[in-house]
Amino acid sequence: MLPWAGCEFIRETESALRSGQQQMLAGTARALANSMSQYSEEYPDQVVGGLASEQLFLHALEKSPRINGYFDDWLLDSASLRSIRGTDGPIRFALGSHGRMIYIYVEVRDKSVVFANAQTLIFDDGPSFADRVTLVSSSPPYLEERFVFAAEAPGAIVSYKQDSYGFAPETAISAHWQDVPGGYRVEARIPVELLGTHLGIVVNNTADKGVSAARISSYSGPMPFPVAKQSPELTTLASKLVQPGMRIVVTDASGWRLATTGELPSTTSASSFGTAWSQRIYELLVEAGKEASSAEPDPAGREQQPYVSSALGGREMAGWFRGEDNGRAIVAVASPITNGNQVLGALIVQQGTDAILSLRNEGLARLINVTLIATLLVAAALVGYASWLSRRIRHLSVAAVDALENETLHAALPSSLAGDEIGDLSRSFSSVLMQLGEYNAYLRTLASKLSHELRTPLAIVTSSLENLEHELLNEASAGYTTRAREGADRLRRILRAMSEASRVEELMAHADPESFDLRSVLKSTVIAYRDAYNERLFEFDCDIESAPAIGSPELLIQMLDKLVDNAVGFSSAGDTIMIGLKEDHSDFVLSVMNPGPPLPSRMRTQLFDSMVSMRENENSRHLGLGLYIAKLISEGHGGRISASNVDGGVAFEVRLPVDHS
Amino acid sequence: MAKRIAIIEDEAAIRDNYSAAFRREGYAVDAFDARGPALNAFDNRLPDLVVIDINLKDDVEGGFELCRELRARSADLPIIFLTARDSEFDAVSGLRLGADDYLTKDISLPHLMARIAALFRRLEAMQKPQGVDSRLQRGNLTIDSERMTVHWQEQVVALTLTEFWLVHAMARYPGHVKNRQQLMDAAQAVLDDNTITSHIKRIRRKFIAIDDQFDAIETVYGMGYRWLSN
Repeated sequence: MLPWAGCEFIRETESALRSGQQQMLAGTARALANSMSQYSEEYPDQVVGGLASEQLFLHALEKSPRINGYFDDWLLDSASLRSIRGTDGPIRFALGSHGRMIYIYVEVRDKSVVFANAQTLIFDDGPSFADRVTLVSSSPPYLEERFVFAAEAPGAIVSYKQDSYGFAPETAISAHWQDVPGGYRVEARIPVELLGTHLGIVVNNTADKGVSAARISSYSGPMPFPVAKQSPELTTLASKLVQPGMRIVVTDASGWRLATTGELPSTTSASSFGTAWSQRIYELLVEAGKEASSAEPDPAGREQQPYVSSALGGREMAGWFRGEDNGRAIVAVASPITNGNQVLGALIVQQGTDAILSLRNEGLARLINVTLIATLLVAAALVGYASWLSRRIRHLSVAAVDALENETLHAALPSSLAGDEIGDLSRSFSSVLMQLGEYNAYLRTLASKLSHELRTPLAIVTSSLENLEHELLNEASAGYTTRAREGADRLRRILRAMSEASRVEELMAHADPESFDLRSVLKSTVIAYRDAYNERLFEFDCDIESAPAIGSPELLIQMLDKLVDNAVGFSSAGDTIMIGLKEDHSDFVLSVMNPGPPLPSRMRTQLFDSMVSMRENENSRHLGLGLYIAKLISEGHGGRISASNVDGGVAFEVRLPVDHS
Repeated sequence: MAKRIAIIEDEAAIRDNYSAAFRREGYAVDAFDARGPALNAFDNRLPDLVVIDINLKDDVEGGFELCRELRARSADLPIIFLTARDSEFDAVSGLRLGADDYLTKDISLPHLMARIAALFRRLEAMQKPQGVDSRLQRGNLTIDSERMTVHWQEQVVALTLTEFWLVHAMARYPGHVKNRQQLMDAAQAVLDDNTITSHIKRIRRKFIAIDDQFDAIETVYGMGYRWLSN
């Protein structure tokens, strides 16, 4: 969110800055165009018929090249060369001016260069029988003149001027013919006075001696077109008006450049955070512009960018260019130069947006730093908050488990006063535990309530049956009565068992605790068990001399009865039941161990609850009260009862406090 | 003339069943379902023995009230509580009000009859001069099995019927351990562990009230109790 908003902000800022710059430039451009329009005589007439592309452009050369057939000392890009189609490949040429001299460079692809000789060199209007280059010049309405460059051999050549007066060598022109593989090059220097306003180039290419040459010309009409050349006045004017970091280009109505001045900064200002990846992030965010290189003045001399074309159509337009490599951006505005309704040309103002770029890079860097810090802070806060929450939840969970295990189901849980969701959770936990506690209490009293309520109807049944037995009954009726009595007896035993728990509780509430020796009580009891269960063996394992305990020995024996009954129930004939007593950390540990099936894990926690029985397939009278009573008695004595699986059997353990008095 | 038993019980079926059983044994029976009608009838004539339920319809403690009033009218009228309430507290309350026995409704009719018969025998024995034959002397203990009285160091120990039978069963053969079953048989009742334990505790307490050195009843853990003669 934050980075997105930041990028959006940066983008908006840049866009606003750029449009501000564009408007400012547009203002400048309009003002400049206005002042440029004062010099309407500097703007050549537009070549009509869409043939402006056939006009030749006179490059302003920085220094005079040597006439040797090489183009590299023109200090121009090779893209500055115009190209027309010749018979053996493209013909490329350029015109330049320096001082009072006009320079011409022509590059011809020619499979078979045919040099001239004395006859073919001197010719009239007839067909040419040698390869040659002709510069056609005219200043309408005067007739055209031709300057012919043909060679008898490579090297410096003599140019001939052909006009209505005839054909004569022109010594003011120096020229050079250079052979190159697959063609030749001609370079020449011509004083400007020799030439007219209109220039064209004609190349005659002959395949062989005596074969007439094909004529290839730079113009399609009968006459060459006006040469497009820089206007010194406009250049001077523009250079007075230009500001640093700005480029002004003036074109004529066809887009041919009349003046160029000013330089755009070639490198971006050093940015503190100009790394490639931040750049790339930015590329994804910012609206695309055109390649910056296309903002450069056209090397061939004619400006044909859409925004320039628009200005030449009379409508001001802005363009925006962006470098792929360094993010350099250029804002350009083209404004028409008009005289009345006539468009004389276009004025192009270009300015680099390096200030914006740097602002954007710094903004991006700051944004990334801020985002990073904010993200770290947020992450730290989230981690803190999450661990605080999880700690509370863990506490709650531990407390809930504790409450369940210790049956302190009414105790307040942690966070119960908190107003948040954990507080809600805690309260609903509390209420669940409370309901569980009430349910447990209900279960505990259910048995005794039930037995109490059932006792009266049972008494009705029993006393009725007993009365019935005194009536005269036939054999069948007597049998039924007996069975009914047996059923009623069983029911009575069940009811007794059900009310036993409440009687034990009552006894413990009223019994006066007495001090006794647990060891001797157990010893005597184990002897009694040997008599009572003669199908089991009993072992008493006790390594302490005496075990002073406090409480009710009768109740503890009752507890032991339940455990032993349980042990007998889960073992088989001939098994040995171990009854142990030892001292451990100021507790006596009384244990009853029997071989038999392990405790099912799902029952482990409910084992000592009321009316929970582990016996699955017995139609027995076990209501699951025995271990509950054992638990009641052990807890009534300040002890704890637990059950565990041991090797090959089950062990119940009762920890009882030692009587220190 | 037949002995007259009054039974006050709100549950018609039980009342009728017990009445039928008493009549079969040759007793005359007056049956009431509430305290009021019973007291009205007793204004004219007291029965020879009263069997009372504690909870009389809406009169939750009605049986106790009735017992109190009857005991006020006659010191030796045998009164038996027969109730569904099996709590120790109720039993103690009932006996404190002067009832001769406190039975829960799961007692069998033969046991109940045996107790009633015993109470009538005691009543008769009380009216006759004391016979020497029925006396049993064990150290400081003197038991009159006809009058069902027990003396310790020449002082009378007020025991209920059940308690008397328990003491009698133990003291007849001093040194012999009487287990639970034997004690239940002697007491004409079906008693569980806790009830026997409670009875023994009450018996001890009654003897200790006379002689704080009393330790003649020994618990043999896991087995039962025995009377020590010395």
